[in-house]
Amino acid sequence: MWSRTFAGLIIGLLLSVSIVLNLNLLLPIKEDTMLLIGLLLAFPIWAGIQVWAYSFTSAKKAWLKLSLVLIPSVLINAILLSLR
Amino acid sequence: MNKDSLKALTNAHAWVGLVISTILFIIFFAGSISLFRDDINAWELNPHFAVNEQSEKFSFDSLINEVAQEYNINTHGYFILSMPTAEQPLANLYFEEKISEEEHVDQHLILAPNGKVIGKGNGSRWGDFLYELHYDLHIPEVGLYFVGIVSLFFFVALLSGVVIHWRKIITKFFQYRKDGNKDKLLDAHNLIGVMGLPFHIMYAFSGLVFNLLIIYQISYAVVLYGGDQNELFKAAGVVDVHLDETNIVMPVQGIDNLFLTAKDSLGEVAIDRVSIDHFGDESASVTFRGADKSQFSTRKEATYHIASGRVLYLTKDNFDNDLRGGLSVISSLHFGDFAGYLIRVLFFILGIGTCYIILTGNLMWIQKKANLRAEKQNALGLKVVYAMTTGGFIGTIFASAIGFVFARIIPIDTLGRSDLISYLFFGCLFTAIVVSLNIKAQKQFAAIFLKITAVLLALTPILDWLFVSQGIMAMLNVGYYHVIVVEGMLLSLALFCWLIAARLFVNKRTEVNETITESINVSVQEQTPLST
Repeated sequence: MWSRTFAGLIIGLLLSVSIVLNLNLLLPIKEDTMLLIGLLLAFPIWAGIQVWAYSFTSAKKAWLKLSLVLIPSVLINAILLSLR
Repeated sequence: MNKDSLKALTNAHAWVGLVISTILFIIFFAGSISLFRDDINAWELNPHFAVNEQSEKFSFDSLINEVAQEYNINTHGYFILSMPTAEQPLANLYFEEKISEEEHVDQHLILAPNGKVIGKGNGSRWGDFLYELHYDLHIPEVGLYFVGIVSLFFFVALLSGVVIHWRKIITKFFQYRKDGNKDKLLDAHNLIGVMGLPFHIMYAFSGLVFNLLIIYQISYAVVLYGGDQNELFKAAGVVDVHLDETNIVMPVQGIDNLFLTAKDSLGEVAIDRVSIDHFGDESASVTFRGADKSQFSTRKEATYHIASGRVLYLTKDNFDNDLRGGLSVISSLHFGDFAGYLIRVLFFILGIGTCYIILTGNLMWIQKKANLRAEKQNALGLKVVYAMTTGGFIGTIFASAIGFVFARIIPIDTLGRSDLISYLFFGCLFTAIVVSLNIKAQKQFAAIFLKITAVLLALTPILDWLFVSQGIMAMLNVGYYHVIVVEGMLLSLALFCWLIAARLFVNKRTEVNETITESINVSVQEQTPLST
């Protein structure tokens, strides 16, 4: 259980930051509104990922599947930040 | 969702709930009471400083003269005045007194509705103590983040609970099978959980925002603003009106006029907080803050340079920033300060309901583990969970009841009064947990402990009228009902504790019989294959 907890906690946090950052870089909305949208989305994404981590029957599967979602999102971050 | 995933999630829901249960119970219990924090502070203090007039003209300048003559106010420290309001006739002044270059002392003065100093409030912080317990458990430095992590797992427990219960969420919406002990616990857990779901989600989310915002703040500052936190603050609507100190001594004067100017400029506003930066320096500025009660969650603020009267900053709409506006809405929802007492009473009931959900969750786990065969049982784990449930949960309510009793009976001017009450609180909580760990008959202990707690909670209103009846009457005569509100809250908690003791922790004969019958059946089933 602890391993799945850490999978959700760590990848969930990174993924929530990454997804919100992508939205921030993609959507043409004013800065303060974007920060608010990011704040409203980030925590539910983190908690949602944690729940998803717990739904796997093994910790290995949880780390693997969550990483598979995190990697493309981080790649999009890198592309968008380099284009900025 | 397939069966395996659902099973994994159900196990995780129980595990997460169990791990966070004691801390979450403390957070929710203290938070529910803290909805009436201002009332508790007024309950503790006002009867000792009863006023006869409801509204008198408040003079800032004479107050500042009086305080500046008596105390050496630290120029680099804070100077905050919490104003009298329609609900609270007394004002509070907080500032830092400079004893020497190194030594500074926090001061808290109680002010009459006209601004005259009528006493010291350093020892009366019971309402604030409970509030701090709610958001950081009184753990220095890391308590805030620890509570934030617990809030995150509360959110996780909520979401996983919805997923697990999803197929039955409509069909079993009102199901409550009161006759079966296990069913009763499960149905109460689900019923209150589903009915209060929007409330729970709001609290989990807003708690996370208050306690773990820094994580996103850091990541935003690093990635989006190249590590420049000031740029992020600027985008987030944080306005810097700081003036550099000139080191030219100048008495603070003219605040009465600036207050009238601020009221005029801000329009519809109830100014509840006045603060002065760089007190006694030529660069000193004064900030007036308040809420527009005609709108939902709209904060207004004006800052002036005291010496020249120049406007340094003025906002009529949440700092004219969507993020600050959004945070203000989240804050109003969390504190239930937007619709008078009724919404706070509703939030209080739902908050105590959440405590009941946490309790039923733990009891279901205990019941499940206790019913396992002896060789499959983890005796130590079961003992610890039982002790944390009786000692931790009931201990928190008991320690709070002790706090209320002593906040009433210790004279208001006793030196170190607040510290003494906080030591009593933690002493009681710790003792309750230790005693629980060493008691075998947990159910009987829980019932007796809850009944003692209920009696203590009900004792406080009696002590109120024995110790400060004159002050209470004086406040009631001018229309302030804080004491009655707190007494009502304590009596309802006493009733709740008594009912739980009588209904949930009772050792019924039937229950004993059921257990005996179950044991006989199990042993018969175990013996059958051998005999055949």
